[in-house]
Amino acid sequence: MKIEGTHEVRASRERVYQALIDPAVLQRCIPGCEKLEKTGDNSYSATLRTGVGSIKGIFTGNVRLEDMTPPTHYRMAVDGKGQPGFLKGSGELDLEERDGVTLIRYSGEVQIGGTIAGVGQRMIQGAVKMTASQFFTAIEAEAKTEAHKPPPTHGFFRTALRWFSGWLRRTFRLTWL
Amino acid sequence: MIPSQFDYVAPTTLSEAVALLAQHADEAKILAGGHSLIPAMKLRLAMPQVLIDIGRIKDLAYIREEGSQIRIGAMTTHYQIESSDRLREICPLLPETAAQIGDVQVRNKGTIGGSLAHADPAADWPAAIIALGAEIVAVGANGERVIKADDFFVDMLTTALQPGEILREIRIAAASGRFGQAYLKVPQPASGFAVVGVAVSLTRSAAGGCESASIGVTGVASKAYRASGVENALAGSALDEPAIAAAAAHAADGVSINGDLYASDDYRRHLAQVYTRRAIEAAAARVK
Repeated sequence: MKIEGTHEVRASRERVYQALIDPAVLQRCIPGCEKLEKTGDNSYSATLRTGVGSIKGIFTGNVRLEDMTPPTHYRMAVDGKGQPGFLKGSGELDLEERDGVTLIRYSGEVQIGGTIAGVGQRMIQGAVKMTASQFFTAIEAEAKTEAHKPPPTHGFFRTALRWFSGWLRRTFRLTWL
Repeated sequence: MIPSQFDYVAPTTLSEAVALLAQHADEAKILAGGHSLIPAMKLRLAMPQVLIDIGRIKDLAYIREEGSQIRIGAMTTHYQIESSDRLREICPLLPETAAQIGDVQVRNKGTIGGSLAHADPAADWPAAIIALGAEIVAVGANGERVIKADDFFVDMLTTALQPGEILREIRIAAASGRFGQAYLKVPQPASGFAVVGVAVSLTRSAAGGCESASIGVTGVASKAYRASGVENALAGSALDEPAIAAAAAHAADGVSINGDLYASDDYRRHLAQVYTRRAIEAAAARVK
């Protein structure tokens, strides 16, 4: 299946590029990413707990960044498998800057198999679009912070807040949290 | 085809169900008719740890009239709606849509509330609910709130329902004036889901022109949507053949179309335009 789209990010191209190749940022921004570990130069192993609505699955796989031409271009190769199926694909990312706005253009080809492809084929394109949009929105938040400032801590704060509200709820049965 | 292990609870009151949902949070799923959730669980695409069956709660399956408003309980089955003589009179779009859902088994067990809360991008109800400008009543720990159909569908399989909320009722204004309604769809031959589904509810003036038109489209994008471009082009028009054709051309304007193996983006756009035209023609012809 072909995947392509564009996303505008209100931040400089350098910042966006840096965010897109920083494993710590990627881990925070990829929806459901639980683990992203470096396994070599520009290659990582990842664990994703991701899905749409009630349909969820755990995937493990590898991500490799190639043809890196900062700050305009790189190529990403992904393969992964999980309980609901497997996927394999690669795509190109191109960054273009105009008046302080970076246009990210992505296009690629992905093969999806297993249960998810058998019964969920009609929803895959929508699910991919939804995930991509969540990812780039998170990247924008990261890239918007100034270079000299510490990176945004929403990952940590959100986790801490979630843990705290979960703890409160469990302890006091507070239902509005 | 065997689901992973889960706990099963069957509360007998809605407040009990809300409390259970709050207690189990993300791990729980509400079981209504089970005709989307159970297949997904059998394939292990969904693996909730707790199922909260709301089928034992009394008074969640009903079709009532409250003044000029129709109220439908969340657990009302597609078949109950399909076979309601009263609805055929005051809101024929509902039974017409229900009759085109899945197969007999699905219509006998599947519920309108379950279908809406699941928000399958190709489900039939969302198109009708948008065309009818319905309101959806959700109940949570903080009480009830009313969500407009236009705000209810957020994205694929995602609704405006908050994690602790249960869909309780659907409210629809009974049609008035010289109205006509229609739901037309292209069913996927294997699943019966809408490749494209178009619901139309319109009113005609005494002279025959279009007074108002409300159109919901499903199956085309990640969520069902209101075809505002078509509505605007139709309102005040003569509702004749050229006016309808010109309006229907806007059926997929500004929409990000999702293709699949069965129907490409371009084919879906084309189907949306053709079926919008036919649905408007059918609705206009039905005005008494």
